[in-house]
Amino acid sequence: MSDRPEIEIAGLGKTFGQGANAFTALQDIDLTIDTGEFFTLLGPSGCGKTTLLRLIAGFEAPTKGSLRIGGEEVAGKGPNERPVNTVFQNYALFPHMTVAQNIGFGLKMLGKPRAEVDKTTKEMLALVRMEAMADRKPSEISGGQQQRVALARALAPRPRVLLLDEPLSALDLKLRKEMQGELKRLQTETGITFVFVTHDQEEALTMSDRIAVMSAGKILQLGSPSEIYHRPSVRFVADFIGETNFLDLPVTAVESGKATVALPGGTQAEASLPDGLTPAVGDTVTTVIRPEQAQVVAPAEADMTGTLESHVFFGTDTYLHLRLPGGEPFTLRRQNTVLADEPEPGTEMPIRLTPGALRILRE
Amino acid sequence: MSAVVKPFSVRRLPGFGAIAILTFVLLYLPIVILVFYSFNAGQSQSNFEGFSLRWYAAAFANEQVQEVSVRSLWLAAAAAGIATVLATLAALGTTRVARFPGQTMIYALINQPLMVPEVVTGIALLIFVAFLKVQTGYTGMGYLVASHTAFCIPFAYLPIRARLETLDPTLESAAADLYASPVQAFRFITLPLLVPGILAGFMLSFVISLDTVVITEFVKSAGQDTLPTYMLGQLRRVVTPEMNAIATLFLALSLVIVTAFFLLTRKRG
Ligand SMILES: Nc1ncnc2c1ncn2[C@@H]1O[C@H](COP(=O)(O)OP(=O)(O)O)[C@@H](O)[C@H]1O
Ligand SMILES: [Mg+2]
Repeated sequence: MSDRPEIEIAGLGKTFGQGANAFTALQDIDLTIDTGEFFTLLGPSGCGKTTLLRLIAGFEAPTKGSLRIGGEEVAGKGPNERPVNTVFQNYALFPHMTVAQNIGFGLKMLGKPRAEVDKTTKEMLALVRMEAMADRKPSEISGGQQQRVALARALAPRPRVLLLDEPLSALDLKLRKEMQGELKRLQTETGITFVFVTHDQEEALTMSDRIAVMSAGKILQLGSPSEIYHRPSVRFVADFIGETNFLDLPVTAVESGKATVALPGGTQAEASLPDGLTPAVGDTVTTVIRPEQAQVVAPAEADMTGTLESHVFFGTDTYLHLRLPGGEPFTLRRQNTVLADEPEPGTEMPIRLTPGALRILRE
Repeated sequence: MSAVVKPFSVRRLPGFGAIAILTFVLLYLPIVILVFYSFNAGQSQSNFEGFSLRWYAAAFANEQVQEVSVRSLWLAAAAAGIATVLATLAALGTTRVARFPGQTMIYALINQPLMVPEVVTGIALLIFVAFLKVQTGYTGMGYLVASHTAFCIPFAYLPIRARLETLDPTLESAAADLYASPVQAFRFITLPLLVPGILAGFMLSFVISLDTVVITEFVKSAGQDTLPTYMLGQLRRVVTPEMNAIATLFLALSLVIVTAFFLLTRKRG
């Protein structure tokens, strides 16, 4: 991965329709995607992920803002004039062409000599392990194989950027896991910048270099998977990704970049702050902490105490659903490293929070 | 277990079988009789005197039959050809674009021949073409080609449009994404995928043109008989089994084309 920007998006917006029917699908997107990056757009259905991809590919014209690919402004250029290829959600393989003809189509349209088209097609067939299927029609291969052909077809012209719109959503779980690894391998081998769209947070966390979490046409947070997971900055992001405890707590001290809050029961705990947020002492802030970042400990080491209401055992871990002194629910995820007895409801459980794990949200 | 409710079935209505049989008899018996007597060795339409191909030989030797058959075939080919090109453009213009105001109206206008009674179109053409003939002095086949073309357009348009509507528009996006210009995307993706619809449209309009009596009857000038209008003219005189032989051959040709049409438009497994 290099730090040269591949895609630079500034103030990009898209409004569909006019007047009373106008609907703004994207508003003021600012985004820089680096060369060779595996970049993911993550968000619920309808948040504008496909629209953003379509703007980058050139299928749709932005209402405002600028879009540069490889340093060049692409406004007014059609999809056939952009160094970008797309893997469509439904694959969109050409049904009247063989697998090999599908893969060679882009190079043929670029006017490459026949020998080069054939050579690259062979390489691509090998890259996605589809050599044996070269002369089949798309209707004669399985869904997973169609997926690989769609990938090979989009990679064959060696685009600067590959756009993938929920490419794995039509596959069953086992095949999806397999293709996740395959995609990651292809991205590393080719060094092409991938912009990957998904609504599946686990897929986003496992595959991406960076993730942009989107909601209602906006990017809410942008960062590495661990930043997004451990350092959410707004409630939506914390809630959308993984499981989270929300606690409203009073601020007792503020330093640069962090604040101290009072936990239920009075213990002081340090919490990290999103960039640019400085609460005042006495403010009540919303904090988050993941269930696995709280441990059941000896009473002397505890930050706070909860009363067990129920627990859910699922092998490697057990979820303990507690209630804190102020009545707030709190879920703790205990790893079953020792053969502990399952606790009785009503048990008082002393809890310690992983230092630094508490996070204050911008709200 | 006896209380299973059977769904309504039209086949259990009283008289269903009888009506079905009667319908098929009415549909096919006259044609069977027509074909049967085309092989009659005698002159009669009611008294079979033995098997013979003499009327087929007579039909093939009849120069008038040859002349009108050739005219029918090239007229149908020309009209169906032009109608198919126009219908393809119309289908692309009405389905491959964003909805526009008046779209339904245009759809209705294109399909006018399906809605206006043929005899009305015929009389309208008679008056209009007579006027043109007087004004221009031209009395050639152009009028028949133009009238047949106009009449055939909806029959070409409907199968092409149906095919176009089943085409996934993302295929064209994918082609554009893979550096195809709009013309290349049409040439390499849309057109090849449209071919079955275009062929079906051509065949259907070919048969329609071959068939039509009314339009031709009203528009033709002297010496421009087609096979159907020639046959109609002959029927006013003595009817020999030669007419049966011509009709049988005509029927066979139509069946071949219509069968090909169904094979082309049939949904693939
Ligand atoms: N062509 C269009 N016309 C009107 N609204 C559209 C169009 N395309 C997308 N939208 C709307 O924009 C929003 C975002 O859509 P999309 O980008 O497809 O979301 P996602 O891919 O995140 O599910 C949706 O509410 C959708 O209905
Ligand atoms: Mg989408």
